Amino acid sequence: MSTITIDKSAAEDRAKPARGRLRSLDSAFGRGMLQVLAVVGFFVAWELGVRAGWISDFLVGAPSGILKVTYDMAVSGQLWRDTWFTLMEAVLGFVIGTLFGSVAGLALWYSVFVARLVEPFIVAINSVPKIAFAPIIILWFGTGLLSKVMLAISLTAIVALIAAYQAAKDADTDLQALLYSMGASKHRIFYRAVVPSTIPAIIATFRINIGFGLVGAVVGEFISSQEGLGHLIYNASSLYDLNTVWAGLFVLMLMGFILYHVIDMIERLALPWKQTSTHAHLQV
Amino acid sequence: MTSVQLSVRNIRKSFPGKSTTVRVLDGLSFDIRERDFISIIGPSGCGKSTIFNIVAGLISPDAGTLLHRNKEVQSLRGHVGYMMQKDLLFPWRTVLDNVLLGLEMRGVDRREAVDRARAQLSSFGLSGFENAYPKTLSGGMRQRVALIRTLIMDPDILLLDEPFSALDYQTRLYLEGVLKEAVERFHKTVVLVTHDIDEAVALSKRVVVLSGRPSRVKAEYEIDINELSPVAARGNPRFSGYFHALCGELDIQTMAKAS
Repeated sequence: MSTITIDKSAAEDRAKPARGRLRSLDSAFGRGMLQVLAVVGFFVAWELGVRAGWISDFLVGAPSGILKVTYDMAVSGQLWRDTWFTLMEAVLGFVIGTLFGSVAGLALWYSVFVARLVEPFIVAINSVPKIAFAPIIILWFGTGLLSKVMLAISLTAIVALIAAYQAAKDADTDLQALLYSMGASKHRIFYRAVVPSTIPAIIATFRINIGFGLVGAVVGEFISSQEGLGHLIYNASSLYDLNTVWAGLFVLMLMGFILYHVIDMIERLALPWKQTSTHAHLQV
Repeated sequence: MTSVQLSVRNIRKSFPGKSTTVRVLDGLSFDIRERDFISIIGPSGCGKSTIFNIVAGLISPDAGTLLHRNKEVQSLRGHVGYMMQKDLLFPWRTVLDNVLLGLEMRGVDRREAVDRARAQLSSFGLSGFENAYPKTLSGGMRQRVALIRTLIMDPDILLLDEPFSALDYQTRLYLEGVLKEAVERFHKTVVLVTHDIDEAVALSKRVVVLSGRPSRVKAEYEIDINELSPVAARGNPRFSGYFHALCGELDIQTMAKAS
């Protein structure tokens, strides 16, 4: 026993210096530090560049100016109003569009006939850049919240529909056969075998669709709106107020970032059977 | 002599191929007795799985009849237990919920079903794994869960389609023993499709040999080995006689000839 222990620790001692200093940074804390350092470094370099006159304050803006603008808008309450407005549009569009699309896509599993019938139409609609519908949607649904939600729905629904339909088609037929041999009805097979096996694919579309929800909201606001971060950015850029543009963009980025992590959390909760321990990760 | 439980009569089935239709089963007939343990062996692609799918009701035959206890039936759908090489466990269900699947389909009261499932899991040495997901289990454990799921439904006939062929030899021997014992305990009728002559002889009461496509019954052997465990059966003096006879039926050269 003792010889084995000695051998092992000796081997570890030899291995340690070979692995280098980079490995010691490869922990949650180490990575976080590096990431924060990169962001801080970027903004400091930007600010110094502006102060030194290498970068145009007028065309690019400056971090100090962005901070000031953000603070002012936060105090006046405009920032919160715009953020709330855009968030509502994006989330509503995402939820309604994804729900509607997924249900429709799953329902196509029921009838191969109907699925084949509508397939070319789905492909046709999908091949149009949906954002091109934006002017009509604004015409139909006005300049308020509804038109942006509708735009976000038009972007997200088709993605969810195609993903859900494909996943339902790909659902393991052996599991369905097993249920059938047990005497299960088509309905039962749908709920017990098809729907659960499509959930991972549907949740994977959440990630794409939350981004599309934001695209729908912001583009809608660009075209015509009185509120929202897209409206803020569009207005500010036409006034060459670059600091406000950046403030809006960074808030949007933060919003997308948070929403992405919310979906990550939903995925972990909804798919406990998919979770693997991180130890199983192959390090190449 | 025990009576016939399921009689397969003149089953024909062909599938559309690239240019011509492929005749897989061409008038296949055989009987399965009450509490029989029958193995079907034959060259690959001879339609062994097709017979299973017909009996389970997954596909319908072009011609022929199935007689279940002298009554003509379309299939035994809902009355068979089906096991394949793949364990077919639902990955999103825990071990317990996988075992409960068939009882759910049958509408058995949940609480009663859970009690039965727990009892079965513990008698097969799987207590403590009720809430584990299939992904975390070994191949042998997963196939044991699949076996419990099949047995708990109390099916008339167990259809086993190479259930152990994906497992390593030790696990296979162990599960053969588990199967044999469970079949004796629950008085089940079993139809086993296998590539493994050794397994067929060690487990079965009868072995049916099919010819190549289109399949017919080429020969039937009564296996007169009354050992309880499949390992002991392999040690029976009659074992090697059956083994060589079946190898001969399948045109497998069992004697290496130096020349």
